Amino acid sequence: MDIDDLPSGHTNASSTVITPGETVTDDPQWMRGHGTFAPTDSTLICSTLAGTLQKTNKLLSIVPLRARYTPEIGDLVIGRIVEVQSRKWKVDVAAPLLAHLPLSSINLPGGIQRKRTSVDELNIRSYFSEGELIVAEVQSLFQSGAASLHTRSLKYGKLRNGYFLAVSGVGGGSGVVRARRQIFSIQTARGGEVDVILGVNGYIWLAKHVDEKREEVGLNRLEETASSAMYSSQNDEIGVETRQEIARIAGCVRALIEGAVKVEEETVRRAYDAAVELDDFEGGLEIPAQQRGRNIVQVVLNSG
Amino acid sequence: MPLDSSTYSLAGLRVDGRRWNELRRIHGECSTQSASDGSSYFELGNTKVICTVNGPREGRRAGARDQSNAANIECEINVAGFSGVDRKRRGRTDKRIQEMCHTISSAFTGTVFTHLFPHSTITIVLHVLSQDGSLLAACLNATTLAIIDAGIPMRDYVAACTTGSTASYAANDGEADPLLDLNGLEEQELPFLTLGTSGGDDKVNVLIMETRVQMARLEAMISVGLDGCRQIRSILDGIVRAHGKKVLASKVS
Repeated sequence: MDIDDLPSGHTNASSTVITPGETVTDDPQWMRGHGTFAPTDSTLICSTLAGTLQKTNKLLSIVPLRARYTPEIGDLVIGRIVEVQSRKWKVDVAAPLLAHLPLSSINLPGGIQRKRTSVDELNIRSYFSEGELIVAEVQSLFQSGAASLHTRSLKYGKLRNGYFLAVSGVGGGSGVVRARRQIFSIQTARGGEVDVILGVNGYIWLAKHVDEKREEVGLNRLEETASSAMYSSQNDEIGVETRQEIARIAGCVRALIEGAVKVEEETVRRAYDAAVELDDFEGGLEIPAQQRGRNIVQVVLNSG
Repeated sequence: MPLDSSTYSLAGLRVDGRRWNELRRIHGECSTQSASDGSSYFELGNTKVICTVNGPREGRRAGARDQSNAANIECEINVAGFSGVDRKRRGRTDKRIQEMCHTISSAFTGTVFTHLFPHSTITIVLHVLSQDGSLLAACLNATTLAIIDAGIPMRDYVAACTTGSTASYAANDGEADPLLDLNGLEEQELPFLTLGTSGGDDKVNVLIMETRVQMARLEAMISVGLDGCRQIRSILDGIVRAHGKKVLASKVS
């Protein structure tokens, strides 16, 4: 395989499989990136993973066929609280190490500029407690590769009124990809609006869309009104039809994963439209779920 | 039941009809269980092993920080009661199984880039479904496939096989051949060793021998074993490439 012919860039990976220990190149002009290593005292670049070659200018890296999520700064992730400590939470984000969420990186209720007090430390479980799901952003990385999260935005915080779906462990271009928009809502046929949050770590949240009450929102009241609802663990009433639509979107995402199509706003929307259309078209016909999934993926790929 | 080696001296064929340097049929698959990070199924003749790899993930005891800045590799082997000739339960405290676990985890600690995942744990779980000799070798090969499937970086494949010495060598027959890849019957009768190497450059990761053999014999056995490991490495490579090709083919974008 000739590396020079491979186009540079993220979307272009070679179509040949490289396996661990294989020599990628012996030309000293290339730099070694992720998934490669140089044996001692040689200019060889060898692969450490099974995957495809990716070239970014002079940097060679191997994209694995399948791998765990590695956090990067700015990633939107969904996580589950697994441990509450005195000043921080430990969050499972499907990464090699649990992520940290310090008490100082969340929006405390009662004013934007409020200082963190010892009372807040004592009440740490009233914000997030074990087993709860949150959406957050990776703020920084520790030396060990563990992520530090923050929820300092109205978009982030506790998740409720919805359905959790994990598609982690799918590396190499499929699965959830980093995209411009990862929080969006789908106007469903019967069940109203459904919010979709695609976490880069492969965790997905589908929830009923709840309008924030926008009455008398002054600039300094904004934070307060948002915060009081933000840390509630009480689910709202969700109608049967909304539940059906949420389940339908979840099925679409699973079908996309099964078909090794990347999951992003565009493909999810197209898959949902395809599912609704196929339902109208085929009516109550009993079609095996797997066949239906394949049909949906086919429609998504054809319309793209 | 003593091993019937009469045909060997006549025709150079072993009990299962192989020559001295032939491997048994090898079959392997990657990504057999979607619930784990990496998984594989490996057959070496009638020895059949399932392997799953989980991690790297945060260790169970999060409070007690390990001082080393590298991932810890844990190994667990379950031997099914129906796997052997006699139905026997072998618990987790069985000394032989514990030693196999230790061998596997130390073999991979030297090959996997553990320093990339500090404070985390990689768990290897092996299920032995059927045993017919070369069990440790089959476990090592299955683990290699599962770790590659999990996308954990490693220097090279760890490929393993067994070699034995024919009975006639003990009777002062200097020309007797060493045997490659022993099956269950041969393993009970003959002195043998398990050899695991990483990659084509013959770096020995595992060398275990539980029986006695004449010192002069060892060199020939190891050189046959190295050759067997090279063969197994190329077979494993073929399995990974076939799997990769299948994954890439199913990806239409």
